[in-house]
Amino acid sequence: MTIRLIVAAILGLAVLIAALRLLLWHRAAGEYASLTRLILLLLLQPVCALLLFLGLFPPTVSGGSDMLRVASAGAPRLAATQGGAPLVALPGSDMVGAEAVPDLATALRRHPATRTIELLGQGLGPRDLPAAAGLAVRFTPPPLRNGIRYLATPSPVSPGAAFPVGGTLEGLAEAKVELIDPAGRVTDSAKPDAQGHFTLSGTARAAGAAEFRLRLRNGDPTMEQAVVPVIVQDSARPRLLIMAGAPGPEVKYLRRWATDAGFAVTTQMSAGGGVQLGDPPVSIDGATLRRFDAVLLDDRSWAALGSRRSALLAAVREGLGLILRPSGPLDAATRAQWQALGFVLTGQAGLAPLALPKPPAAAIARTRAGIADPDMPGDLTLPDTLLPEVSRLAAIPAGADTVPLLRDAGDRPLAVWRALGVGRMALFTGVDSYALTLTGHRLLHDQWWRALLGAVVRPAAAPPAIEGVHWAGERMTLCRLTDDSRVERPDGGAARLIPISGCAAFWPASAGWHVLRSKDDATPFYVQPATALPVMRAARDRDATLMLRGDGSADPKGEDRPGAAWPFLLGWLVASALLWWLERSRLARQPTRSTR
Amino acid sequence: MSGDAILSRWVAPARQRRFIDTLTLALPVLIAAAAIGGRLAGPWAAAMLVAFGLAAAVLIARRRAARFDRNWLTSSLDRTRPDLEDSSALLFAEAPSLSPLQSLQRARIAERLDRETPDKLAPGWSRNAMLVLALAAIAIVAAAWLWPRAGEGPPTLAPSQEGTPARPGVPRLSAQNLRIIPPAYTGLPARDSASLDARAPQGARLEWTLRFDPQADAPHLAMLSGKPLALRRDGANWIASRTLDASFLYRVDPATGRGPTPPLHRVDAVADAPPQVKAITPGLTLVKAGQRSWTPVFTVTDDYGVAATARLRITLAIGEGENVTFSEREIAISGSGPARDRRFAPPLDFSRFGFSAGGDMVVQLIVRDNRSPSPQEVRGPSLILRWPSAKAPESGGLEGMVNTTLPAYFRSQRQIIIDAEALIKQKSRLSADRYLSRSATIGGDQRILRGRYSQFLGGEEEGEPELPTADADGHHDGDGHDHGGPPQQPGVGFGAPEDVLAKFGHPHDDSPASSLDPETRAILKQAVDEMWQSERELRQGHPDKALPFAYKALRFIKEVQQATRIFLARVGPELPPIDPTRRMTGKREGLANRTLDLTPVERQDGPAAAAWRALGSGPDAIRGPVNLAPLEQWARTHADRLPDALALTGAIDAVRRDPACAACRASLRAQLWTAMERPLGQPARRRGGDAAGARYLRAIEGGRQ
Repeated sequence: MTIRLIVAAILGLAVLIAALRLLLWHRAAGEYASLTRLILLLLLQPVCALLLFLGLFPPTVSGGSDMLRVASAGAPRLAATQGGAPLVALPGSDMVGAEAVPDLATALRRHPATRTIELLGQGLGPRDLPAAAGLAVRFTPPPLRNGIRYLATPSPVSPGAAFPVGGTLEGLAEAKVELIDPAGRVTDSAKPDAQGHFTLSGTARAAGAAEFRLRLRNGDPTMEQAVVPVIVQDSARPRLLIMAGAPGPEVKYLRRWATDAGFAVTTQMSAGGGVQLGDPPVSIDGATLRRFDAVLLDDRSWAALGSRRSALLAAVREGLGLILRPSGPLDAATRAQWQALGFVLTGQAGLAPLALPKPPAAAIARTRAGIADPDMPGDLTLPDTLLPEVSRLAAIPAGADTVPLLRDAGDRPLAVWRALGVGRMALFTGVDSYALTLTGHRLLHDQWWRALLGAVVRPAAAPPAIEGVHWAGERMTLCRLTDDSRVERPDGGAARLIPISGCAAFWPASAGWHVLRSKDDATPFYVQPATALPVMRAARDRDATLMLRGDGSADPKGEDRPGAAWPFLLGWLVASALLWWLERSRLARQPTRSTR
Repeated sequence: MSGDAILSRWVAPARQRRFIDTLTLALPVLIAAAAIGGRLAGPWAAAMLVAFGLAAAVLIARRRAARFDRNWLTSSLDRTRPDLEDSSALLFAEAPSLSPLQSLQRARIAERLDRETPDKLAPGWSRNAMLVLALAAIAIVAAAWLWPRAGEGPPTLAPSQEGTPARPGVPRLSAQNLRIIPPAYTGLPARDSASLDARAPQGARLEWTLRFDPQADAPHLAMLSGKPLALRRDGANWIASRTLDASFLYRVDPATGRGPTPPLHRVDAVADAPPQVKAITPGLTLVKAGQRSWTPVFTVTDDYGVAATARLRITLAIGEGENVTFSEREIAISGSGPARDRRFAPPLDFSRFGFSAGGDMVVQLIVRDNRSPSPQEVRGPSLILRWPSAKAPESGGLEGMVNTTLPAYFRSQRQIIIDAEALIKQKSRLSADRYLSRSATIGGDQRILRGRYSQFLGGEEEGEPELPTADADGHHDGDGHDHGGPPQQPGVGFGAPEDVLAKFGHPHDDSPASSLDPETRAILKQAVDEMWQSERELRQGHPDKALPFAYKALRFIKEVQQATRIFLARVGPELPPIDPTRRMTGKREGLANRTLDLTPVERQDGPAAAAWRALGSGPDAIRGPVNLAPLEQWARTHADRLPDALALTGAIDAVRRDPACAACRASLRAQLWTAMERPLGQPARRRGGDAAGARYLRAIEGGRQ
């Protein structure tokens, strides 16, 4: 406003000075003076100044429609024929006869009076959503096409771990979803449930970036395929303390499993009478337990801990992970103590046989196992018909704060965990799980104990990950950047990022693995091709636009938009030219000359 | 002569001529058809074609011959014999319907008829058609015979698909053929493969015929692992051959390193599968009443063929109780059915093998396939034929629970008799004291034995239940049932109430003797009584007086042994409860903490994982050429662990040939995915919350802030 005032003051002053100069000039002119010309000149000066002012600050133009029809991708081609409000077409819509605009913001600049937009098509993408904020949006979403409506890509997994791939299908109740591993083999397949949700499971190998594929088949032909990027990365190896009240096969195989996995394992097996087997004895106190990431206790060593339990639980509150397992039927005291920890055990005491989840078909099981061990023949790594004698506590673990972690074939919880302070503790109710490793169910044994350990282990700093699904040609935001961050494209070229408060925008141009590199960090992320997952993208746009519709109904309170400046500037030019001509012309002086 | 007789006489030569003529025409057609059929589908098809064709030819010939009927005869007679005055039809007219004039004319021409023979009416041979057909048949037979068979004669070269760029002066493979001659025993025909990749039975002979343009100097087949195979010049072509022992990868190297590297080819050896034996007869069969023979049925399938003869191993278990004799023999049997799916059903006559009631016959088929050399031998499942003993029909439903308990005791009693008789013989050489003491020793043995029997009967016994004689192995620890607890105290007297056993004894069942019928119990009691008498005499130094009692006891026991088998309940051992107060009360010198070291198993797929990362596009990707030497070395070392080591080696070679080929890198990466271990154990570490999250978690736990 101040600029307007200053400009107005300058113009006013200029008009006054010009008028003063005209009057002086008129008096000095003598016989050439013409009153008509003076009056004309004096009148034209303020007109000229006013026009210049209006040209610089054009007034808000009122009038015209405050409704704009916007065609986004998927809009019917012939909607332009229905008259009414002006129609603009965003990129992606092939509307005929509409005004093409590069984005919604441009369209709104061209139609400044717009208060309401009516959206045709599937909705606004991330590019146009900010521009539409503050407008009332009328949007009747079209039905989605059949296909993959949502795909949840797995977060980074550890080497060898099983990971879930979830998603939702639109329509297609009879379709089949298959997960294809990087070698091109079907490693899992499922049918969607009544809501269209499905969950598949794949297995990772060594650290690196792997591309699984999700294949949607309806009947025989493949309907849709999408890349499921899986980032396999190493994390810090946990330090594990295994305590057992007696030596036994269960602790032996747990120790073997943990040692082979590369953990720093300390085993304490009590042989009775104060004799400890395993590793050199450690004392159970806060300082010692701080050196460990997880403690694995059986019921007998729990009972033998006695008063040191409070030190253990204090360590759990500070982040230590604790896994409790029974070595047999629980005695009443231990059961009561574990109940006091929040694990409610409902059911009778004693053991019950454990029904294992059904192993996958041999062809699928083969894709989930790695190559055979040098000292174990390949056919031993696949589950055979021999059922291991694994039992479980007859009681079912539960509790208000507990989270079920593992389930048996009857879908009853086999293990649960709960938080205690910053740490977590879990209760595994299986007994003699070592029998799994002896009967070809080694991968199931590993899956159980890996899940237990992963659920409770002391938190550790993990490398950053860039989550979500990104498409080529769409802006994405990268955060936690440093000054030297750059993105390496699939073709090997690098793009510098200009971070503002740690975040920067990045427009991936091509699909494939990109790597966000900084000085000592490399974070891979996958960019889907622009044509991949069309239904998921449409659903995202539709949902985002539908959320927009709600707050746009309030009265829009935007600033006045300036109208067009060019008519005023043109008028100013004409007025100035007239002024110049009047000043220079001999029009008013002519009569005196002719009389002479 | 009647009309019919005239007709048959005059028509016969024509009919015969036409019949033979038709068959003669059909003959070359049949021969040609047989030749084609025999070439395309084998001699059986040819024989079938000939049989059906002959039948059809005879039918057609008969039909054609049947056209020579009365009408034909009258018209041809009228045409060729003017002396019959167009009246030949009268010859076949019925006499009563003729007018006198007609009868007169009929008699005239009948007289003239025989002036000529009927042979003149026979149609001529169709010589032209015969000639044409015969020539065509000869041509067809020759063509069928001489048409080149696949895998025989000089091969037809197919244009090469190496895809290497042409360079002036550098030889290049222009045409190729790979002939595969499977081993004779497979019965497969030799075939020509236009491609240099093939799958062939193991042991097949491979013959390459290659042509180069321009002509090569010293081309060879470079095996990816192993010695190169030099090509031999044969006219314009180059040939080489080798026997297929194992799958291999190779490339045709026309210019020994000059020029571009040609692509790899793969030859897979398909191993001969061992025969599969399936028993059709159930695993356990019982002999039915009146059955005199048994025919177990096996089917054997193989990929190329099962030897026509097999061996049947027959194991006979004859006898009852402990008196079971085993005999084993093998007989040769022959199967029936096609070579790939033979059926063996040997009838086994019981009398021939001496198989009788109470015995088991176990048969097992030992079969070979027709691989040569070294046929593969496979043993099939064992089938059991059981002839239930007439004495113990109840054993049918109680497999494995029958336990003969008495032989051990029986032999002990016999041992006592033997000892006593030996002592009597030595009486003259022994002093009285020594004689008495040895007699008393035998009496002690007799007492122990009596104790065992009376214990078995639920009565009292007076000594340790340990067998004194060489048959102690008849009943020992770990023989499948419980032996009771600590040594038992002397009983309260002979004939004590039976519940004494329940208190101190060692029941195999609720009451072992209760499983005996009353008769057997009575006999056993008599035996025990006789033993008691025998023991008394032995203790008093009168083994000669003891002997009659001992013999009686032996006879009773023998009766019992022959009469019955008893059943023992299968129950688990009932261990006494652990007494916690006795724990850790022993000596503990030298017991201390012990460190048990454990060496982790190292992961061994390092090169594969490193190459997999390098070939991808993640953080560790190498976009230029990747050093594949460690990977190749690793793949060679661990070939037996890999699902398809040959494919991996081929993929490595493809990337090495053209490091910039994105598809080759992708396929090698896919192969590497199947060649990596799946590391166990490592969980994804959960991320810690921030300071506010930690405060929240502590606050809801009630801990310190």
